[in-house]
Amino acid sequence: MTKKQKIRNKHRWLLLVFLSLLLSIILLSLPVYSFRQIVYSKRHANTPVDSEKYIEAKALAQDAMLPFGEDAKLNETVTHRTNSKGETTTMVAFEVGVKFTRNGWSWMKSGLLSGHILLIAFGSIVLASLFAVLSYQSGQKIQDKHAYHVKDRRLLIACVLSLIALLLIPVFAMHANYTFNRNIPFLLDDNALDAPVVQQGMDFLFTQEQDPISAFKGLSFQATGFLWMLFAIFFLNLIGLIKLYQGEIAAALLTGFKYVAVIVLCVVILYPYFVMFITGFRTPVEANDMRFRYIFPTKWIWSNMTDILNRGVPQYLLNSAVLSAGATLIAMLCGIPAAYAMARMDFKGKKAYLGFVIMSQMFAPVVLLVGISQLMTTLKLNNTILGLIFINAAFNQAFAIWLLRGTFISISSEMEQAACIDGTSTVGALLRILLPMAAPGIVTTLIFVFINSWNEYTISTVLIATPTKKPITVGITQFSSFNMIEWHYLFAAALLATLPVIVLFMLIEKHLVSGLTSGGVKG
Amino acid sequence: MNSVFVRHKWEPYLWLLPSILLMLIFIVFPIAIVFKLSFSHISPAGVVGDFVGFGNFQKAINDPAFKQVMINTFIWVVSVVGFSTLIGFGVAVLLNQKLFGRKIVRSIVVFPWATSLVIQASIWNYIIKYEYGNLNNVLLNLGIIKNAINWRVSYQIEFMWECWVGIFVTIPFVTFCILAGLQSIDSAYYEAATVDGAGAWQKFRHVTFPLVQPSLTVSTILNIIYVFNSFPIIYTITKGAPANKTDTMITLLYMRAFYDRQKGPATALSVIGFVVLCIVSGIYMVSSLRKEEH
Amino acid sequence: MKRLLALLLAALLMVSVISVSTAAEPVTLDVIICDYGPNTQNWFLGNGMDGSNFVKKFEEANPDIKLNLEVISWNDVHTVVSTRISNNMAPDILNIDTFAQYATEDLLIPVSDYCPEELFDDFFPSFIEQSVIDGVCWAVPDLASARALYYNIDLLTEAGVENPPETWAELEDVCQAIIDFYGGEVYPWGMDLTTDEGQAAFAYYAWGNNGGFVDEEGNWNVNRKENVEAVEFAIGLYNKGYTNPNPATQTRYDNQDMFASGKTAMVIAPQNMPTYIKDKGGDINFGVADIPHNEGATSGSVGVMDRIMAFKPRTELNEEQTKARNEAIGKFLTFFYEKENYVGWVSMEDFLPAVNSAVAALVEINPDFEAWLAVLGNARFYPTAKPEWNDVKQGVIAVQQEALVGGDIQAGLDALQEKITK
Repeated sequence: MTKKQKIRNKHRWLLLVFLSLLLSIILLSLPVYSFRQIVYSKRHANTPVDSEKYIEAKALAQDAMLPFGEDAKLNETVTHRTNSKGETTTMVAFEVGVKFTRNGWSWMKSGLLSGHILLIAFGSIVLASLFAVLSYQSGQKIQDKHAYHVKDRRLLIACVLSLIALLLIPVFAMHANYTFNRNIPFLLDDNALDAPVVQQGMDFLFTQEQDPISAFKGLSFQATGFLWMLFAIFFLNLIGLIKLYQGEIAAALLTGFKYVAVIVLCVVILYPYFVMFITGFRTPVEANDMRFRYIFPTKWIWSNMTDILNRGVPQYLLNSAVLSAGATLIAMLCGIPAAYAMARMDFKGKKAYLGFVIMSQMFAPVVLLVGISQLMTTLKLNNTILGLIFINAAFNQAFAIWLLRGTFISISSEMEQAACIDGTSTVGALLRILLPMAAPGIVTTLIFVFINSWNEYTISTVLIATPTKKPITVGITQFSSFNMIEWHYLFAAALLATLPVIVLFMLIEKHLVSGLTSGGVKG
Repeated sequence: MNSVFVRHKWEPYLWLLPSILLMLIFIVFPIAIVFKLSFSHISPAGVVGDFVGFGNFQKAINDPAFKQVMINTFIWVVSVVGFSTLIGFGVAVLLNQKLFGRKIVRSIVVFPWATSLVIQASIWNYIIKYEYGNLNNVLLNLGIIKNAINWRVSYQIEFMWECWVGIFVTIPFVTFCILAGLQSIDSAYYEAATVDGAGAWQKFRHVTFPLVQPSLTVSTILNIIYVFNSFPIIYTITKGAPANKTDTMITLLYMRAFYDRQKGPATALSVIGFVVLCIVSGIYMVSSLRKEEH
Repeated sequence: MKRLLALLLAALLMVSVISVSTAAEPVTLDVIICDYGPNTQNWFLGNGMDGSNFVKKFEEANPDIKLNLEVISWNDVHTVVSTRISNNMAPDILNIDTFAQYATEDLLIPVSDYCPEELFDDFFPSFIEQSVIDGVCWAVPDLASARALYYNIDLLTEAGVENPPETWAELEDVCQAIIDFYGGEVYPWGMDLTTDEGQAAFAYYAWGNNGGFVDEEGNWNVNRKENVEAVEFAIGLYNKGYTNPNPATQTRYDNQDMFASGKTAMVIAPQNMPTYIKDKGGDINFGVADIPHNEGATSGSVGVMDRIMAFKPRTELNEEQTKARNEAIGKFLTFFYEKENYVGWVSMEDFLPAVNSAVAALVEINPDFEAWLAVLGNARFYPTAKPEWNDVKQGVIAVQQEALVGGDIQAGLDALQEKITK
């Protein structure tokens, strides 16, 4: 590419930036935010047409229409129905709809928070374009290295500003919906927290004498469509800036796509945890709120946590910890030698053993309930945590051996061989040479078994009778019993049960991959 | 060779002994009991009686819900294992690249793995409630939808949700297995491929995929077993309702054993499941081992 | 084989297997209690209302008896009991809904063996009758509940309905009026056909149509015309959009929640509904009425009763030990039904009592109880004394759920009838 071409390209991208700026100004001037509000809606059961009650009701509806003038429209529906006794009933419904529009500028002037957001977004785009021009000129005039540096930094600032504007558009949409997409009756009963916001919204849309009593609903779809257009325009602006900055649009897009994918992934994965968190600190009323009033608790009920602590949860957590630690210990004591043999020794029946290990996983614990329970009775381990420890250790053998074997294989055996030639026993070689080297893999396996045991549910349900010996997974079922689900307590307890495990898992995350590496290589 | 000096022929077996004993006592012995029970008469209250031959198996197969449940089980295993492998592969490839904040993202991806299935299932059960579920709440408050949506409008849809929860909790395992495979690939292979003029897809097809396959094989076998045996998700969300239309084999046999008090047929069903599982994973293992040798 | 394995285990891990001392002196009773709500566990084991709990008080009063008492969720209790029975680990005392299967399989001991006479005479005779098979009483009632129609007065009035529906035809009228008025924002009728309690729905409609599980002679008769009509009516309500959208997975408690927050206009629920609504923070104006019935049939409440029963000892006991055990069980019952304990237990989750001596004290606590006890007097109960009851229960649930997705009701009930009378 010649220098001329390069400059021409740059001109083109700068044009795009300007064009998007112009477009956004036009879009903000158009009266695109249309509101289709039902300002009055009332149904009257058992009201025959032309009866006294009907005339009264209609007069009320017409009164409600008055302040809105031309914009308002009265809609009347009459439903006749004959019931099983042959009586006819009549229901009339009056609905006053108002349709009007606003443009972006008036929104910015409104003093609504969403208006401020829009203002900031627009301001960012203006500033971004300004920076783009500045950097472009300085880049043209002075050709030394230092000037390029300055130019790059300005462009970077422009990109960031444009990105901020881009992200603010959905925030604006969300807040606008938060302001307008609701029913007034909610304001009138207990919605004290939202009252100022709603009041502001009403002030923006209606004059003093206009009083939308019964309903107050939404930005129309049209406006939402234009919001997406605004979003697209800002996106164009950003692309123009990125092109000015780097030139490699494909790479930029790909990177962008990657990050979008990562963000989507994180949002999806974190969503249930978010739900767990916010529901765990709600009041029971809000946890079952059928009018969907609040995303976040209006009041964080931290005492949910203390309530469940008083209902045996600390004991359950302790039991779970003992149980998991014990199971881990035994699983490792049995698993390390086996994995060592599998990794370092050649012998007949290696495949058969592997088959045996995999087979041992093929029965679900649920299916084995009867068998396990009988075994425990035979061993006099019924209703003991010790019994659960052995069961969990056994059910985790396969995974432990698989992981450990992978770890051992990935470590060269030269040092052990040398030690063996020097006369060290195999046990000594394992203990003194291999284990220290395999520490990360062993920690991974440890925590893995720990977590699996921590999360086990079905067997514990049947094996453990005494409440004080129950692990946490069984213990929290008291909040979701057949009789009543106490969502707020259930999730508060779930939070307590999950948190330690997640922390542990995050600790080993780094080693998890290396632990799994080559674990899968050839059975 | 990667092996150490072994003094006696029997020494390896000594090393294996503890793990064999542990599994023998605590897994194989219960399995044996279950096998024995599947041939015994068990009274509705649970008292174990006499040997009845294949009577229980006959009853299990003649169960009116058997056919539907087998189909469900097939859909359940194939969709959960299939989709979680597909998505897990994508996530692994994504996380194998240089990304800002990759460490944090990786930690986040393990979350579902670290959470008990009962808890996961309860959360999702809450999320998709029509009248007060959190999904409707969030979407309504963000203005994405105008009216609450019934996310569980029919049992087919509910079953799809159960599959989704299954996929959700399985993704991390697959992701990390494949990630392990990806990280063990020597970059020299890619360099060689680049020299040969291979494109991105060809690199994936001829370098990445074959080298990741061993990890994939193991994770898939383990997944088939775990997913087939998965119980809390369906039990928490629908309990198989309506009329066993959303049951898989495991939940059906639980319902039969403990709600309908037909423990005999239920244990027979579990033995059938065991055999099916052995055959399926056996076939899969043999075929993919053979492929690897090629 | 088993012993060998046990030995191997001991040798292998050198774990001192917890030795169970079988010292004879204190009798230990394994007791299983079902979880009736958020307070049950606390009342029995935790720090109950007055900082003490039942087990502690009992053991203080009877130092020679040790209680190993568990409170198990209704979700798991059948699993736990069945597994324990299979392994010869049945509890000594069990609190559950059904007893007939255990009695016919000869697992229980008759009530007369352990229950002191004056306590036995204290139970409502109509309750005791329902635990009798061939003249032998196998269980004693621990509490009861009765169901009635709850309706949201405000919702109904606004939709132009003055009185709650009495007949099925009126019920459909009211449902339609509510649909017309609220356009789907309010569910007119709460319905529960879940695996948990679908048999109750069957009873509401079948009994309201002169049908039922058994005929006059007490023989199973589930596939009669009236029952088919009843289920058809119920499914019809669903198909016309009068009910909550997912009756196969929405339990009675889901319906109660919806009723409490004004989402459902009418629901059939037990006497503890007012407390439930209060606990859930519901602020609604509701009334109670009889469950609607078909024209020409009579309305009656549906009663539900749970029981306490004693299992045979797990190991052979000599005469003296048997006597000590029975005495201990008797002491447990006596203590449990002692006025102050029993009143606490019943009022804790707002249930209805099963013994005469508690009535006066309970009415004092909650005057509504008087009306409810009258309702209970007219209530019909499930035929739980028949050993096939569990099959019937699961069977009618399956038929109803099948019908929800278009199954044939008559054929389903025919098949069920054939299965249980075979």
